[in-house]
Amino acid sequence: MGQTNAKTDIIPKKSFFTEKKKEAISGYLYISPFFILFAIFGLFPILFSFYLGFQKWNGLGEMEFVGLQNFQWILTDKVFWVSLSNTLIMWILGTIPQLIIGIILAYALNSALIKMQGFFRVSVFMPYVTSTVAVAIVFGVMFNSQEFGLMNVILSWFGQDPVSWSTSWWGVKIAISSMVFWRWVGYNTIIYLAGLQAIPHELYEAAQIDGATVRQKIQYITIPMLRPIIILTVFTSTIGALQLFTEPLIFLGRTYREEGISVVLYLYREAFANLSFGPASAAAIILFIIIILLSSVNVWIANRLGR
Amino acid sequence: MKKWLMLVVFSLIFVGLVACSNNDESAGSDSDGGSDDTVELDFWIFGSTGYDQLVEEYMKDNPNVKININEGEMNDMHNNLFTSISAGSGAPDIAQIEISQVEKFLEAQDQFYNLVDYGAEDVSSNFLDWKWAQAQSADGSFQIGLPTDIGPTTMFYRTDVMEEAGLSTDREEVAAQIDSWEAYYETAKTIKDKTGKPISDSPQLVFNSLRDQLEQQYFNEEDELIIEDTVKEAYDYTTKMIEEGLVGKNELWEPEWGSAMAEGSYATMPGAPGWMVANVKANAPDTSGKWDIAKIPEGAGNWGGSFLTIPKQSEYPEEAFEFISWLTAPEQQLKSFEIAGLFPSTPDVYENEDFLATTDEFFNNAPTAKIFAEAAQSVKTVYMGVNYSIVDTELGTALLNVAIEGADPEKEWDAAVERINSQLERQ
Amino acid sequence: MKGSHKFSFSKLFVYLILILAAFFSIFPFYWMFVMATNNNSAINSLPPAYIPGKELVTNFTNVINTIDFFGAMWNSVIVSTITTIGVLFLCSLAGFAFAKFHFKGKNILFIAILVTMMIPPQLGLIPQYYIITQLDWLNDLKAIIVPGLIDAFGIFWMRQYISSNVPDELVDAAKIDGCSNIRIYWNIAVPVIIPAFATLAIIKFMYIWNDFLWPLVVLREESSFTIQVALRGLIDNYVRDNGMILSGTFWATVPLIIVFLLLNRLFIQSLTEGAVKS
Repeated sequence: MGQTNAKTDIIPKKSFFTEKKKEAISGYLYISPFFILFAIFGLFPILFSFYLGFQKWNGLGEMEFVGLQNFQWILTDKVFWVSLSNTLIMWILGTIPQLIIGIILAYALNSALIKMQGFFRVSVFMPYVTSTVAVAIVFGVMFNSQEFGLMNVILSWFGQDPVSWSTSWWGVKIAISSMVFWRWVGYNTIIYLAGLQAIPHELYEAAQIDGATVRQKIQYITIPMLRPIIILTVFTSTIGALQLFTEPLIFLGRTYREEGISVVLYLYREAFANLSFGPASAAAIILFIIIILLSSVNVWIANRLGR
Repeated sequence: MKKWLMLVVFSLIFVGLVACSNNDESAGSDSDGGSDDTVELDFWIFGSTGYDQLVEEYMKDNPNVKININEGEMNDMHNNLFTSISAGSGAPDIAQIEISQVEKFLEAQDQFYNLVDYGAEDVSSNFLDWKWAQAQSADGSFQIGLPTDIGPTTMFYRTDVMEEAGLSTDREEVAAQIDSWEAYYETAKTIKDKTGKPISDSPQLVFNSLRDQLEQQYFNEEDELIIEDTVKEAYDYTTKMIEEGLVGKNELWEPEWGSAMAEGSYATMPGAPGWMVANVKANAPDTSGKWDIAKIPEGAGNWGGSFLTIPKQSEYPEEAFEFISWLTAPEQQLKSFEIAGLFPSTPDVYENEDFLATTDEFFNNAPTAKIFAEAAQSVKTVYMGVNYSIVDTELGTALLNVAIEGADPEKEWDAAVERINSQLERQ
Repeated sequence: MKGSHKFSFSKLFVYLILILAAFFSIFPFYWMFVMATNNNSAINSLPPAYIPGKELVTNFTNVINTIDFFGAMWNSVIVSTITTIGVLFLCSLAGFAFAKFHFKGKNILFIAILVTMMIPPQLGLIPQYYIITQLDWLNDLKAIIVPGLIDAFGIFWMRQYISSNVPDELVDAAKIDGCSNIRIYWNIAVPVIIPAFATLAIIKFMYIWNDFLWPLVVLREESSFTIQVALRGLIDNYVRDNGMILSGTFWATVPLIIVFLLLNRLFIQSLTEGAVKS
């Protein structure tokens, strides 16, 4: 990071201006495809959503301007707040462990001493490859509410009563969070793994000579060196968790039960099941604001990791 | 080191994109092929209908018409139709719409051709009155679609469980024994005493059976919620059965529900329509001969069935109408029944000897067509209302909460009503 | 690699973690195979079948008779490959610019990219569909490929990776030597970030392969179906044959595992090369 200031001094004076200009032009050029494509395919839908937030529209007929009515409906709807708290609970249950386990697994996979790295990598990444149809069926079987459901059998080994995974307040959340955790831990592991490769082996070897424990190596070498990647995963998984949609949809089916409804599932129900596109858009705007706030806080915290 | 690889890879993008656009041109010219005298009709369907064979037949007799069938999953097809109509392009010439979605699309009358303008009145006598009315605007001036199949409900039952409970297994006698919901309740107690099994595994099916016998269900024709005066009774009946352990707690379409068909863990499946036959066979192939079909107490309802509509985006409404009036005519409906088991909505067919002679070995040689045909005649016309599914989903949730969580029925009812009202408010 | 054969407690621990992780990850896949080789009643019975059955061929024959399995697989290969390659190129270029170049508004533009990730995409379905119809791309694989090239995550990922792995000194030295910017990208950045390419390629490829919400909306003709859209065709509205559905799903996943193995090899290879260099 320290080199940034030194850079301008290195570049020869006479071509300073043109070099800088050339660099800027290249910079704009290299990032332009994203913005051009986004302007075509992404911008209009977003502006449209914002516009809809102030309209009454059933998707088929005429629109009607209703001012802030949609926002008032959403903010006074008990189910919206339930969906928000569900989303936050499932974020804590599903996402945070996923990042921690992801780092541990990546660390283990990166260890030069491990045999069959290829096999372990493939297997850890397998859940991300599995299609949603299969995930729905497999988790439906595992979290079957009857006594012979796999999870209930496991609970019975510990003398616990069977849980109704599909209807109880915590059961639904735990089932969905496990699905999230299971699906995305491999994804994060692969990302961390690529980040770990960049850390020079000499650092670990030096620490080994100094008698550092595994925990110390992780704390003082791995995490600080991995910071840019950790920030990335914290940021993206926070957004991903707040936009939780596919997992509750496939676990709950089209019942939209309150125990597991997420904010995005809520707005999806409003739009495509109830044809209330106005309130749905208002919910999307509110969620957007919440995401901005929470991901800023998170990145701020992650930035301080290992400093 | 790997630069050559990258180079290959990047040049592939461009080759790929070029190849792709070539692809598109050939596809494009394909669909523009209607410039000569032939008319091309895009036809969206779902489920197994047997229409592909009938379409072949039609195209042979009408060489100037080319019909492109596009088959998909039911929800996907409705969503695509909705998106296409909402965005104003991409809709087919003919779209199949299921009964649960008809009201939604009736809201967008200006997006569909009024079939009355194309001679729908002339064919209306082909169909059951209640079925015809389902695809009509409230004042009857707008007809969105022509009827295809229907799902008149009966009661399937397990002969082995009935026998175990010391009851008759004959379908006439079963119908006579269970001739009212009061009798259904009393029989349930007998079965519970003798076998320990519930009379039905699904709260939703019991509730739906009672509901479907009502002439007014969730909404009146002014779209006011009237459930307190209509289906509350059905809800109370069902929750009483649940609390006394006479009805199980399986949710429709879940694996437990499917496996219960194979196990014989309950005595009856009330409210089962014609298409359920195939469902039972698929879930419980080893139970052939253990099933039979009787009349449902206090009159049949209808579950499922579709309509064929012509979206306004079509350029050939006349040709499309000609085709769908042929496809939904009694002769073709009979063929569709023979190929794919879709139950006809044309009462003419019900007098056909061959049709009436249809029996099913799986169901103890029950004359299935005859039983369903009788049920079809007694179905009443019901106004469903565009928000039907909101109410249905929430009441289903309430019933399951009572069944699975042992929740208090009254509290669950009130909570469901509150959820329904807050969603209706935004419509 | 010294002392790798010595027994150690931590090594045992690492193996234990990996074996556990592998078990939990593979288990559902095994289950998928079990269901793909059993008939419907065996799957729906309780407790369900735990071991592979005899219906492997029957189920897959049913799949092939119901949908154009291989045609759809081919479409998926085309869509996923082209999108992945395009994303690797565009995102690494943009990530490189954000990591190593100085230009006005860089930070704001970067934040703008991040903000685009925060908007819930579900509502955009109808307007996005509208754009596709205006471009006349319905039933055209371009409707999947071109919007798929927008990948804010990919840019973010490349920027983070490049900023910590491509030394500024190297970039500056190349500038003094009079290298053009594109040559700096090509000769200096690209060789170093092959692991990042492999990672992004794996993630993107799998994502496009498994995506179905959007393809379902814009691909309506069987000739244009990707495999996930085609697999929906196995779901009948009244009767569900889970054995057949899972058979299609299983065989549609096998190629992904092969792609993963290939990319993983490239990934490991690039690492050992890097290790030799340092």
